[in-house]
Amino acid sequence: MKQLKQILGIAVLNGKWILRQPLWLVQSVIAVLGMTITLFAWGSNLALNNLVVAYLIVGSWSLGLNIVAQTIGWNRVDHVYESYVASPISLPIYFTGTIIGSMPFFSTHLTTAVVVSLLCRMDMTFIPIVLLLALIALILGAFLSLSIILRLKNPTNISAITNPLQTLTTILPPIYYPLTFIHPPLRQLAMALPTVPLMEIGRWLASLPTGLNLAFSLVSLISWIAIVTALVAKKLKWGQE
Amino acid sequence: MTSVAINTAELGKRYGDTWGLKNSTFNIKQGELAVLVGPNGAGKTTTVRILATFLRPSQGKAEVLGMDIVKDYKKIRSRIAYLPQGYGINNNLTPLESIKWTLVARGSSLSEAKLRAKKWMELMSLEDCKNRTGWTLSGGEKRKVAVGMTLAADADVVFLDEPTTGLDVEARHIIWKIVRDIVTGGTTILLTTHDMKEGETIADTAVLMNHGQTVNQNTPQSLIKTLPYEYRVTMKKEGLNGTTHPDAIDLGDRLIIYAESDKKVRDLMASFSDLSTVLSVNRVGLEDAYLHLVGKGEMPE
Repeated sequence: MKQLKQILGIAVLNGKWILRQPLWLVQSVIAVLGMTITLFAWGSNLALNNLVVAYLIVGSWSLGLNIVAQTIGWNRVDHVYESYVASPISLPIYFTGTIIGSMPFFSTHLTTAVVVSLLCRMDMTFIPIVLLLALIALILGAFLSLSIILRLKNPTNISAITNPLQTLTTILPPIYYPLTFIHPPLRQLAMALPTVPLMEIGRWLASLPTGLNLAFSLVSLISWIAIVTALVAKKLKWGQE
Repeated sequence: MTSVAINTAELGKRYGDTWGLKNSTFNIKQGELAVLVGPNGAGKTTTVRILATFLRPSQGKAEVLGMDIVKDYKKIRSRIAYLPQGYGINNNLTPLESIKWTLVARGSSLSEAKLRAKKWMELMSLEDCKNRTGWTLSGGEKRKVAVGMTLAADADVVFLDEPTTGLDVEARHIIWKIVRDIVTGGTTILLTTHDMKEGETIADTAVLMNHGQTVNQNTPQSLIKTLPYEYRVTMKKEGLNGTTHPDAIDLGDRLIIYAESDKKVRDLMASFSDLSTVLSVNRVGLEDAYLHLVGKGEMPE
């Protein structure tokens, strides 16, 4: 119970900015609505089905990569991190609280995914299991970002790193379009980006067409988890540095 | 018998090839307000960051409340609070929210946190800005919020790294009064400053630091008594009539001259052609003791 209260405290401290500046949320809602209308206008049900998976995976990936990692990065710059270390707050409490504090952003993606699923009369049973995958995406995104920004010599450029990284990993690769759209040899290459195997596994869980054998995605994802966890473990220390 | 709250022995921290802290040795009793004084780069912040368990020392030992800072750091963290230098408050929260939710994050219940936050808003004279977010607060108000967030934790040992730097006199006095009230209640506070006057005014014990080493530790009054002088005379150089004073401190067109007694001050002033060149005559203070100790080379090897 005490830990839950502590998590709530961190969530409010690190997430209040989202509620105090609601235009960030409005921007997020407009972006997901715009994308949904675009695909709906082109008349592809398959695209909308893919979009539901993409919203859950990309929404959580971006939350980890951009919002959670930036919050932690700024906490370090502002020396807030140090004051948390020298207190009864533990790293798991801090990390969980920061994720929960950032959740309002994910709610826009989740709500849209559910609404689109309802409107398209999709089978929604895959959503809970894809949400578990989304949690992995969130943590992996946060770890990838942190493994880079915690090594920056000039930490004031945090968003200059995380924003381009988000665009690179979510807009360019086959996330909103199918992996089968690109030439077969390039499909394996695309697997080098962590969001592609996450999406492929998501499509598989939602019974949507995939571009490669699931084993490729699993190997790529497990490799990313191992590498990024090792990289971040070296830098994300809870005191005793 | 009063027990020791903080104890360090030859504490050091190396960053690559450079020693940020080389030999910090001192002890602070429970319920004392200790001040680490020294110029920028003296090792004050590194000392505090080690004691607050944020940094691991490269050499030496330290204990907080009898617990080893490396082996028992988790236990220590439940009994300390730390305000780092340059701490930036969250501008999206009001002062009341900042204090309240920091207490909740430390483990207080919501109702208790709310009550304590209100009390600390009053103590820090922040009631007027309780509904304003950090964006609209002045630098001094933000600092008071940060100090309030730290002290409201009701920790046994509190580390405050330069909490009053850049504050106006009134804000400084509010913080001084509160930290004095808290130590009277039994809390131990270790505060860093490069303002010797601050150290002299509020400290029970002063730890003088320079170049990553402890120069000396004692009460400010005892450190001042080590001086062979009683007075400092600040004057314009033009009033000297060519007389030289070997112990004088040159401040460009002004000088600080030390005198052993009030008789020496009178003799000194009698030698001046124009008394209006004398700007002030004061009793010596911690700053003079620091300069004397550092200048005399009383540095540990």
